[in-house]
Amino acid sequence: MSALDERRASFQRYKQDVKERGKPFYPYAMFHDTVMSLVVVCVIVGLACVWYLTSHEDPNRCQPKWSSCMLGPRYAEPADPGTTNFVPRPDWYFYFLFYLLRIFKWPDSVILGTVGIPTILLIIALVLPFIDTRRDRRLSRRPVAVIAAILVVISMGELTYKGAVAKEALASEVVAAVPSWAQREGFANNPKAVSGATVFAEAGCTACHTYLGTGGGNLGAPDLSAEGTKGKGVQGLTSYISDPSKFGNNVMPKFAAFANIPAKDAKGKNLGISELQALAIFLDASKGPK
Amino acid sequence: MAIATRTRKSPRRERLEAAVNYPIDWLEERSGLIGGIRYFLFRKVPGDTNWFHTLGSATLTAFLVQAVTGVILAMYYKPEPKTAYASIQHITNDVTLGWLVRGMHKWGASVFIILMFFHMARVFLFGAYKYPRELNWIIGVMLLVIGMLEGFTGYLLPWDQTAYWATIVGINLNGTAPFLGPYIAQFLRGGAEIGPDTLARFYSMHMLLIPGAIFALIGLHLYLVVRLGVSSPPWSKEAAGADWVEEQEVSTDGRRAGLTRPVPRNYVRGQRGDSA
Ligand code: HEC
Ligand code: HEM
Repeated sequence: MSALDERRASFQRYKQDVKERGKPFYPYAMFHDTVMSLVVVCVIVGLACVWYLTSHEDPNRCQPKWSSCMLGPRYAEPADPGTTNFVPRPDWYFYFLFYLLRIFKWPDSVILGTVGIPTILLIIALVLPFIDTRRDRRLSRRPVAVIAAILVVISMGELTYKGAVAKEALASEVVAAVPSWAQREGFANNPKAVSGATVFAEAGCTACHTYLGTGGGNLGAPDLSAEGTKGKGVQGLTSYISDPSKFGNNVMPKFAAFANIPAKDAKGKNLGISELQALAIFLDASKGPK
Repeated sequence: MAIATRTRKSPRRERLEAAVNYPIDWLEERSGLIGGIRYFLFRKVPGDTNWFHTLGSATLTAFLVQAVTGVILAMYYKPEPKTAYASIQHITNDVTLGWLVRGMHKWGASVFIILMFFHMARVFLFGAYKYPRELNWIIGVMLLVIGMLEGFTGYLLPWDQTAYWATIVGINLNGTAPFLGPYIAQFLRGGAEIGPDTLARFYSMHMLLIPGAIFALIGLHLYLVVRLGVSSPPWSKEAAGADWVEEQEVSTDGRRAGLTRPVPRNYVRGQRGDSA
């Protein structure tokens, strides 16, 4: 008997067995289904209640102590293309992808993380029934499938966990580091550069970039501690930051909106330049730690 | 006399039954719907289905919760950058039970995704993707992918910082794909910049395109489930369709058969007095 004939025969046997020894869907299986569905609805309502009752109208009220918002705030601050608090964090079921991107280095292999691996996984999932055509369904007879399943679960779990705890430098922490940056890089006497450093810290550049050890180093963004030595100049940096996609960088957001915000020094005095220019001056002044 | 009244229906009862049956018969005669429902409910399933088999219908329930709460949210949500955030605040803080509806939608999304993964795991472990159920597995994978896309498009709608920046990065990452990448990114953004057009198109995809596709695929999925039947747990002693004749060398010396010690097929049948 050919393999296909065997499979056909076994399905005929299945139908025969179900006809002879099966039980009607209603009420037997349906009873289990109904109980399970009720549990699901209760869990959803429960989550909604805990989320609402432990959070506040003001999204910032759980900022310092995360424990008070057990399931997170009701919403973050309103979207603002120009300013602070940039947290590029997807929903949890994308964490594994999110973390994959940190493993691959920009720009040569990052495409493996963004497109390569997900596509391969998807294709494997789609053709699985055609790779594994053996009739055996018992786990004891499917060692390869069992090992593959365990590996997939462990690696997805690990990536999701790492994505969840991945360190995100909070703007407030980064801003605290600005004076020490100015010291070590030697631009403390240049108020425009210091103001740019503050913008850099607040705008969440460190969610991707590192600067003198602060920041995430995510998505393949390079360290910027010595960006000023690369000879881009203030002008070049300004145009880069306002539209990185023009320079082949499609990951970094455009920060053109900063051109409309006047830069201020620590005392709130207007410096007569835009935040975008301040950023560029700061990066240009970053010649590496002294 | 007393017996007669009990076996014979009173005329009143007869008229009542006729009134109840009339619309049912009317519908059945014209659509066959009642027969269909009856077939669905009273079809036989293997006697050894268990709690693992409830994961699929649990996923369906989670999806229906999303559909219902989503429709209610759509009555209050305003898909414009200027108003979206305020309308989300309004729903959460002012609308009667709005917090519950939004909370259920927000958390139901995660429950839906988790249940899909659990259901997929059970199908994998039961080997239920094998002949003749390959097609249903493929439909399942498609459901998983567009289910996650539904999550991605919904994430932007509150138009808060997290949503905005996560979506920017997400779109940009899509853009790194070879060949199609830049076009996909352009399409998702609806222009060069993320803005009102992006929000409108995410909203449209999130509440029309993707849910429609999910509904259609679930329909196909369930059609195939009913047509092919669900598979027995593979370790079950009386798994429907099991063919363990080759393993008769496994001794039947009275030790318990189970996960690793299957009972030969004709042994089981013999017990039931079958000729096979
Ligand atoms: C979403 C992550 C992300 C954020 C946020 C981000 N960048 Fe970038 N940036 C990148 C990536 C990735 C590259 C590398 C691109 C490449 O090499 O083509 C980069 C490159 C750069 C470069 C060029 C570096 C070089 O030497 O080639 C500069 C300058 C820069 N970023 C400045 C900034 C500033 C200033 C901010 C904050 C206003 C910022 N970036 C925020 C991801 C980010
Ligand atoms: C919207 C999401 C989904 C819904 C509503 C759904 C619903 C169902 C239901 C109700 C069943 C009946 C048996 C059971 O409950 O286990 C089923 C079976 C099945 N599902 Fe799904 N499912 C979904 C997603 C998936 C996914 C992601 C996969 C796998 C990639 C999948 C693959 C299968 C297969 C192969 C069967 C047949 C199992 C058997 O015969 O034992 N489904 N599905």
